Amino acid sequence: MKTRRIVPLVGIALLATLAAGCASTSGPVNLAIVNKVAPPVPGGIKIGKAAIPPAAAATPNCGDPTASLRPPAVMPTPGQMPTGSTMAKIQARGYLIAGVDQNTDLFGYRNPKDNTIEGFDIDMVHDVAQAIFGDPNKVVFKAITSAQRIPVLTGPNPAVDLVARTFTINCARLQQVAFSTVYFQASRQVLVPKTSTVQNFAQLGGKKVCATTGSDSLGQGQGQANAPIPVAVNDWSDCLVMLQQGEVDAVSTDNTILAGMETQDPNTKIVGPSIAPEPYGIAMPKADNDFVGFVNGVLQQIRTNGSWTASYGTWVQDKLGATPAPPPPAYEN
Amino acid sequence: MSVTTGPRAVGRTTPAGAPLASPPGAAPPADLAAGLRRTANTTPGRLSIAMVGLVVLSLLTGVIGLISVSGRASTLDDLTNHREPVSAAAQQIYRSLSDADATAADAFLTSAVMPADLRSRYQTDIAQAGSALAVAATDSGGVTDATAPLSQLSTGIPVYTGLVERASANNALGYPIGSAYLREANNLMTTSLLPAAQHLYKIDTDRLVAAQDDATSFPWFATLLVVALLVALIIAQRFLRRRTNRVINVGLLVATIAVVVAMLWSATGLVLETVHVANGRSAGSDPGATLAQIRTKALQARTDEMLTLVARGGQDYNGQYQTLATEIGGEDGTGGLLGQVHAASSDDTMTNQIGASITAAKSWFGLHTQATKANGGGDYPTAVNITLGSGVKGSPNEAAAFDQVDTTLNQAIGQARIDFTNQTNAASGWLTALPIGVLVLLVLAAAGAAVGIWQRLREYR
Repeated sequence: MKTRRIVPLVGIALLATLAAGCASTSGPVNLAIVNKVAPPVPGGIKIGKAAIPPAAAATPNCGDPTASLRPPAVMPTPGQMPTGSTMAKIQARGYLIAGVDQNTDLFGYRNPKDNTIEGFDIDMVHDVAQAIFGDPNKVVFKAITSAQRIPVLTGPNPAVDLVARTFTINCARLQQVAFSTVYFQASRQVLVPKTSTVQNFAQLGGKKVCATTGSDSLGQGQGQANAPIPVAVNDWSDCLVMLQQGEVDAVSTDNTILAGMETQDPNTKIVGPSIAPEPYGIAMPKADNDFVGFVNGVLQQIRTNGSWTASYGTWVQDKLGATPAPPPPAYEN
Repeated sequence: MSVTTGPRAVGRTTPAGAPLASPPGAAPPADLAAGLRRTANTTPGRLSIAMVGLVVLSLLTGVIGLISVSGRASTLDDLTNHREPVSAAAQQIYRSLSDADATAADAFLTSAVMPADLRSRYQTDIAQAGSALAVAATDSGGVTDATAPLSQLSTGIPVYTGLVERASANNALGYPIGSAYLREANNLMTTSLLPAAQHLYKIDTDRLVAAQDDATSFPWFATLLVVALLVALIIAQRFLRRRTNRVINVGLLVATIAVVVAMLWSATGLVLETVHVANGRSAGSDPGATLAQIRTKALQARTDEMLTLVARGGQDYNGQYQTLATEIGGEDGTGGLLGQVHAASSDDTMTNQIGASITAAKSWFGLHTQATKANGGGDYPTAVNITLGSGVKGSPNEAAAFDQVDTTLNQAIGQARIDFTNQTNAASGWLTALPIGVLVLLVLAAAGAAVGIWQRLREYR
């Protein structure tokens, strides 16, 4: 058995002799030089073709996508939801379940100081809870990624009652979920480092542009000559991480989200004209017509009672300028 | 070169012209073979051949025995001094990194600024991973497989700590991007560093097992030589008795006794050594490996419950937690891997330590159910308080229960290491004098054979 030891010994002796004979041919010991290192990346990252969302098969024209259901003539008193309604089920459960963002400054983020989720979107959710329970805090927040916004609202047992997460209303999404009236009018722009010479989206050809998986921004400019290279991540804050680490050249999304990034990193700037309007709505399961009408009623109340203006003042005014009038509702019926 | 059978005639002619005396290289092989054949046809010729043969065989057996036994002794040294510590260090790297990651997530859930106790725990973990990496790296020599995970770890850990510090700086400012850096750090940990640590541990454990196999393999070649030598000695004695009518040849008898003693000594020594190495495996390294596996799974499960809270429903890690918990403790916390290793343990101290782990695991699993229930019922703050043990003093504290699991498992792993080292050292003890003993006995056998036959050969002069 120890022949296994002897054979190598003899071998080593022979090799040593040989090595001594031709020592001049072997170089110095390899120092494991590192020439290139893969930078750390956020989980779930996709680059290039894989990042482009599948083209929605010929989105049907739905007319004005922002037109929603008219609120009930008389809103029910908080705590007394009509029997059999979606709101009554929520009331019976004792809390509203809302799909929100916990990573987007200004609109939906977890405040590290006290662990609460805050932002403009979150204010809307509290207003809905106030209308159902008479208590704005009867809410369970589920933090979801951009790509989860539709899945959590579909299927036989939707995971949440509503989604308030910088969710732009469009015809393709209306196929799967229902939207409230517009509660915020954003516009798509571009965020670049302050040192960048890029002035608008058209100048991003061949450069890496970050957005969240499933976001419309990823398809922007694709199929044209000199298209940007899309980079998809799970959360908007991952895009800022990538921008800070120099792994992408720009972030393309709504000015609201970009303003939150600019707040967190003074070395960035928002550039260019509005690429596309981004009307935000609260999304709900398609079947819950009564709830859509109810939420529209809540939104109508806050447009008129100063609550919308107060939220705008708290979260957005400093970043996006003077408070505009709340976006007017459009109804389909 | 007469072919007479008379002893004196041959005695005189042999020195003159026997091929044996001529340098072997000088005679053509055909002549050499013919000369040997002629010599073998005479009694003194045969005696001479027997003498040379026995001396050569004895010395060869002695040298092979020496190499074989000392090779085995050095394998045992290697086991306790290199294989086992390196494998334990690899396990320590995994444990420390995994705990650092869980602690970072924990700190993120607790407050904007990392609390002092968590920061110190995180720093200790990172330092521990670094120093264990240094131990593991001392012994990658010759195993190219180990170079990749080692370099992945030594280049990745600084990047990881950089991301965590960046996360905590942003967190302190109240920026949500802090959590994005933490997620990126976690992604680096779970997709690169932990798999590398796991890979390193597997390489080192495989090498440990291979060395154990090596130290308990049957010494076929040496055994064959000893048996051949013994048979040759017996044949030589029978031949002499027939030719000389003397019952006892003292020299050959001494040689035979020396070989028998060497054989019995080696057999006893090697059997006892093998038994101890096998005990070191069954009572030490095997349960140690299972315990390390349990500890790894427990750490993964702990990270999963932390991430469930960090993700706030965004991603469900609870399914992974349940799978791991079942693997660790079975349906009720007493089965699974913990139950197996508890039942198999033959060391009372270790059995008690594993028993304590089982108790702690049951309490941990129970508290997890409470926390999950609170979270599912919409009471996020209570779920956080139970999971992190951050509630008021005396309230349910899952963190403490988990720490108890980790601590008792670590104690049991330590006990397994002690058992392994004790048994392997005991195995080594049986081989201490053996290599020299075997060599001395076989040199004695060679001398006995030479003297014994030389006495008879002299009578032909």
